[in-house]
Amino acid sequence: MNRSISWMKYMALAAVLVMVLSGCGAAGGSTNSTAQASGGGQAGQAEGGNLTFALATSPDTLDPHRSGLAVTVRAIRTIYDNLIVQLPDGSIKPWLATEWSVSEDGKSYTFKLREGVKFHDGTPFNAEAVKYNLDRVIDPATKAANSLALIRPYSSSEVIDEYTIKVNLESPSQAFLGNLSQALLGIVSPTAAQKYGDQLGKNPVGTGPYTFVKWDENADIVVAKNKDYNWGPETVENKAAPHVDTITFKIVPEEATRIGSVQSSQVLAAETVPPQNIAALKNDPNQQLLQANTVGLPYTLFFNLRKAPWDDVKVRQAVQSAVDVESIVKTLYLGNYERAWSALSPGILGYDASLEGSINPDINKANQMLDEQGWVKGTDGIRAKDGQKLTLRYVDGSPNREKRNDIAAIIQQQLKKVGIAVEVEITKDIATVIYQNWDYDLYGNSQVNSDPNALYAFYHTSAEGERPTLSGLSDPKIDELLEQGAVETDPDKRVEIYNQIQQYLIEQAVILPIYVFPYTVAASKKVEGIKFDSLGYPLFNDVRIQP
Amino acid sequence: MVQTILSRLATSLLVIFGASVLVYCIMYLLPGDPVLLMLDPSSATPEMIENMRVQLGLDQPFYIQFANYFGDMLRGDFGKSMINSDPVLPKILEHFPATLALTALSSIIAITIGITLGVLSAIHRNGVIDFVARLVGLFGISMPTFWTGILLILLFSVQLGWFPAMGSDGFSSLVLPAATLGLVGAGFIVRMVRNSMLEVINEPFIVALRAKGLSERAIMYGHALRNALIPTVTVIGMLIGDLLAGTVVVETVFSRQGIGRIIADALMAKDLPVVQGVVFFTSIIYVVLNLLVDISYSYIDPRVRRAVRT
Repeated sequence: MNRSISWMKYMALAAVLVMVLSGCGAAGGSTNSTAQASGGGQAGQAEGGNLTFALATSPDTLDPHRSGLAVTVRAIRTIYDNLIVQLPDGSIKPWLATEWSVSEDGKSYTFKLREGVKFHDGTPFNAEAVKYNLDRVIDPATKAANSLALIRPYSSSEVIDEYTIKVNLESPSQAFLGNLSQALLGIVSPTAAQKYGDQLGKNPVGTGPYTFVKWDENADIVVAKNKDYNWGPETVENKAAPHVDTITFKIVPEEATRIGSVQSSQVLAAETVPPQNIAALKNDPNQQLLQANTVGLPYTLFFNLRKAPWDDVKVRQAVQSAVDVESIVKTLYLGNYERAWSALSPGILGYDASLEGSINPDINKANQMLDEQGWVKGTDGIRAKDGQKLTLRYVDGSPNREKRNDIAAIIQQQLKKVGIAVEVEITKDIATVIYQNWDYDLYGNSQVNSDPNALYAFYHTSAEGERPTLSGLSDPKIDELLEQGAVETDPDKRVEIYNQIQQYLIEQAVILPIYVFPYTVAASKKVEGIKFDSLGYPLFNDVRIQP
Repeated sequence: MVQTILSRLATSLLVIFGASVLVYCIMYLLPGDPVLLMLDPSSATPEMIENMRVQLGLDQPFYIQFANYFGDMLRGDFGKSMINSDPVLPKILEHFPATLALTALSSIIAITIGITLGVLSAIHRNGVIDFVARLVGLFGISMPTFWTGILLILLFSVQLGWFPAMGSDGFSSLVLPAATLGLVGAGFIVRMVRNSMLEVINEPFIVALRAKGLSERAIMYGHALRNALIPTVTVIGMLIGDLLAGTVVVETVFSRQGIGRIIADALMAKDLPVVQGVVFFTSIIYVVLNLLVDISYSYIDPRVRRAVRT
C-alpha cells in the first residue's frame, strides 16, 4: 500500500517535470517560426540540398518486380520509370512509351518507345529491354511477388524494331494499361538484373529521376539526382533532372519517434502521421500536412460466406445494421479519415457515389432480423439457435496498424448489443489462419489499385486449384459482370457494370466497408513540391528545399 | 585457473550448440509457412509456392533440414535470408558493432549510476541521496523501455534539441538510446548494491574494523564495498545480457541499425537462417559474459581464488 502511494508520487513528479520542460520548449519553437515565415517570402528557385524523408517501415527490396510492400513504392518511384503513366482522372499518358495502339481483338498492344533514354548504368533503353522486363516478371526464377498479379494476362512480347515492341495478352484486359503504369512494373536495367540476379534489390538500376546511392539496412536509403533525366511524366511539372541533389529515406518505424524527428527538424518530412498528431501538426507554424487518399479497395471487412450462419444474407444484413461505421471512424480517426461506403474507394473509375449514405445503423432492425431468423436471446444476452450460440470470429492480421485492432474492439461492443458474441483474434500468421484454414467469420483487408478490375480477385468465384477469395462469394451473375468489366472497352458501360457490382455487394451485405486510408506526410515548410500520383504515392521530381 | 577456464569453455560450446538446436526446433514447430509469408498469398499460384519450397529445401524432412543447416554452419556458411537473399553472416557482422556499442555504453551508464547511487544511498540511509537513489531505482525498473525512450526523445530532441531523435550516425545518436537502456540497468543495480551494502555494513567484521580504529571511509570503500560487489557482479553479468535483449525495443524506438532490429524483423517473417545466425552470435556473447563474471569473482574475492587453486 505504502509502496504504491510513493510510486504515484514519483510519477506525478516526473509528469510535472516533463510538462514544465515541454512548455518551455514550445515557447522557444514559436519564436523560431516567425523568423522563418518572414524569410519564406523569396520562394521559388532553390536548387540542391538533401531531402530527408522518414518512412514508417522498411522496404523489403528495391527490385520492383519482387516487392510485395507499398512502402517500397515510395523509394522505387524515384529510381525507376514506367512505360506509361496514369493521371488521377484515369487517363493513360506517355512516359517511356511515346504512343501505343491496341489490336482489334484487344489482345495485343504495340508500343513506340522513347529514344535516347539510358539506364543509370549506361545500358540503352529499347524494345529488347522492355521485353526482358516483362518476361522477367513472369519467369518463376525471378520470384516475382505483387508484380505478377499486375502483369496478368501477359503472355509474350515481340521486338518489332529497336524502339517498337508488341505485347501479347492471353485475353483482353481493360486493367492492363493501368497496371502497366504501376511502380511494381517499373523498368529495370537488363544488364543490372542479369549481373545481380536476386541481389538486384540491393543494387537497383533504372531510368528514373534519381540514381541509387546506398542502402544501409534498417537505417536509410539514399538516392541522388540523375543529371541526364529529361523524360518526366505528365504527373509532374519538372520533366528534367530533379532540383534537390539527394533524397535520404530514413526508416523510422516508431510513430512517436518519426513525428518527433520532423518536429525536431532532424528530418524534413515524415510519412504516415497518426491521427492524434494531425491536429497538432496543422497548428504548428513550422510544419505542413500533406494528405492524399489512396485509391483502390478501402479497408473492408469481408464476411466468410462459406461458414454458417454467415451464408445467410439476413444474418449478415443484421450485422450491417448493427455496426455503426460512422462512429467507429469518427472515434478512432478524429475526423481525419473518410468513411468508406462501397467496395471501391472514391476516385477510381466506376466508383458508385450513390451508395454514400445508403446504410445507416439501426439496432431495432438488426434485432428484428435476427429474431425472424430464429436467433433467440439467451439469459446471457447472446443469441442462440438449435443450441448453437451466435458467435462471430473476427481475425485481424496486424498489430494495430491504423488502429485496426480498435475497430475490432468497437465492433465487439456494438454487436454485443444485438446479442452477437464477437471473438477477436489478432494473429500475424494470416497465411495459415485465413488463407489455409479459412478459420474466420470476418476479416479485413485493403488494396491500392488504379482499376476497378481489382474487384475480380476478391469476388469472382475462384477456379479449381486457385486461391479462394476472402469472401468466398460465388454468384454467377457477379462472375459474369466481373468478366465483362475486365474486357469492356466503352467507359460508360464499364462504369455501369461496376456500379451494379458495388450495389450488389452492399445490398447482399457481403462486406462492411470501413475507411478510406489517407496517405499523410508531415513536412517542414521549407519543403515545396511533394506531389502524389493517382494511387496516392509521393512523387519527388518537383521538390525544392528553401534554404 | 587455466583448467577451470578450459572446462568452462567446453561447457560453453555445448550451451551454444544447445541454444541453436532449441531455436531451430522452436522455429520449425511454430505455425506459419515461411513461403506463404514471402510470397503474397493473394497473387502467388500454388505452383509458385511449391517451387519455392523445393528451392529452399523446405520439402525435406526435419532431420535432413537440420543436418544440412548445421553442417553448413560448421563450415562458416550461415545461409541466406529467405526474404531478400542476403547472406546472413556479413549481415550480422555488419550490424553487431552498433548493438555492441549500444550495449557497452548502456552498461557503463548503468554500472556507473547504479554503483555510485547504491553505495551513497546505503551510507546515507534515509537521507536525501537515499531518496533520489530509490527514485532512480524505482523509475528504472518500472518504466517500460519504449516509454522511457519516447519520453527522452520528447525532452532532449523535440523540446531541447540536444540530441537526434533517431538514427545511428555517430556518438550523439548513441546517447539517448544508451541512456534509455542504462536507466533500466541502473535501476536494478542501485537496489542490488544498496541492499548488499546494508547487509555487509551490519556484519561483525565491520564492527571489528571500526574497533580497530579504521576510518569510516576506508571501511566503506575498502572493505564493505568489496564484499557487497560479489552478488552485484553476478547481477551485472545477467543484466548485460538483459541489456543486449533490450536493444530489440530500443533499436526500434530510436530507429537504430543493429542486431535487435534484425532479429525482430526476422522473427516476424519467420526468416529461419537469420534468426539462427543471430541466436548463435548472441549465445556466444552470453557465454563469454558468464565466463568473465566467474573469472572476476576470483579477483574480487580471494576465497574463490583459493578454492579454485586447491
